[in-house]
Amino acid sequence: MSLTVNDRVRAIATFRFIEVRLMEITAAWTPTTPEMEVKVLFGRHIFDFAQHADWLGKRTFELRKPEQYSLRPVDSYVEVIDALAAEEETGKRLSALYDVFLPALENRYREYIAQTDTLLDEPSVVIIERILTDLARMRRDAGQLRTRISVAAVALPELAGRESAHSAIVAA
Amino acid sequence: MKEIGFVEEAGLRLRAEPARDEIFKVVRRDKEMAEYDGSGPEAQRESVHRHMTNEITSLDIAAQCILEFPDAPWGLRMELARQCWDEARHIAALHRRLEEMGGYKGEFPISACEWQVTCALDDLAGRLASQNRTFEAGAMDVVGGNIREWRAIGDDATAAVLDAILADEIHHVRFANRWIKQLAAENPRVLLKVAMAVRFVSHANRTLQAEPGETTVNGKVFEDPHSRIPIVNVEDRKLAEFNDEEINEILRQAGFRSLVPEAVHA
Repeated sequence: MSLTVNDRVRAIATFRFIEVRLMEITAAWTPTTPEMEVKVLFGRHIFDFAQHADWLGKRTFELRKPEQYSLRPVDSYVEVIDALAAEEETGKRLSALYDVFLPALENRYREYIAQTDTLLDEPSVVIIERILTDLARMRRDAGQLRTRISVAAVALPELAGRESAHSAIVAA
Repeated sequence: MKEIGFVEEAGLRLRAEPARDEIFKVVRRDKEMAEYDGSGPEAQRESVHRHMTNEITSLDIAAQCILEFPDAPWGLRMELARQCWDEARHIAALHRRLEEMGGYKGEFPISACEWQVTCALDDLAGRLASQNRTFEAGAMDVVGGNIREWRAIGDDATAAVLDAILADEIHHVRFANRWIKQLAAENPRVLLKVAMAVRFVSHANRTLQAEPGETTVNGKVFEDPHSRIPIVNVEDRKLAEFNDEEINEILRQAGFRSLVPEAVHA
């Protein structure tokens, strides 16, 4: 059975919470990251995350919730986001965000599209498809930058494992 | 999460500097900067390098405001996020121009003074008054004159970069003006915070600026600070929604050095 309107708004509001947190995390990393080119990358992507949150927040209003309504995910997933935020070294920050967290988030967005009624919920689908295009571009940006300034990718199996341990992230 | 603390400098409680590439030499006083007379290649590179590193500071400040004021209205947070994108592009464009001129990042000493002063303030309206309404508005005056100077020496490429940046900066000042008005309408105590911020910025500027007769690291002698006030960019300040009374006050402080608000844009 497809998602109900209530299921949809809870998922969309959860995605909005995540996008706002990603905006805040990249904002926090900007003054505390020394490399100018990496600051530029984060500075550009802060606005990408903000726009995603804004689009999702407009959609929540169309689904019987207030505009810019966010829903906090399950606590254990919030802890994963907090672990991402706590990374301090530039290489780890880049890998944690662009190699671990964003690909996983993309999968969660795709899962949503697979589950919803793409005709009745087309406004959500259009927003998510735009976000997916952005996220792919943002990961490309990070990859190109790492090549240019010679920052090696760092394997972060623990963070990846904690993220993938969540089959669902929407709070009950 | 890494946090940036506070430092004391000349009796002022300032925010400690944000992280910078090791290649940069970060200083706190004007006299520790390099400055060149005329428009020779070194002066040109130092000007672009200084502008580039000021944009890094502007990015850091806007980002820190997003972090430290999570309860700010969403529309204001969106403006700050947009500002981050703009400042990031300005850094990249100026870095590209610097390299085209044969320069490189770290070629000259840099300062993060605007960050140190603005991020020492504990409320968002005060920070908007400091960074956007004071420092960025002041930069609009400086850049307006710089564009004419670059064109005068035949460097249209640098003038074009600065003209594009100036267009963005107008909006950064404008959204600050709009949001300060809105926040003050909702809570009149905001005006007190803004007044305290303006006073702090003014005091910090007076304390940290070079005295007449002091010299830069490369030997240039500082003149009286009043003679260093740039021509007021009246046209762009109007676009940034300063009202006539505010512009008249700025002109008065500048000694009416601008009575010819001619267009500088391409």
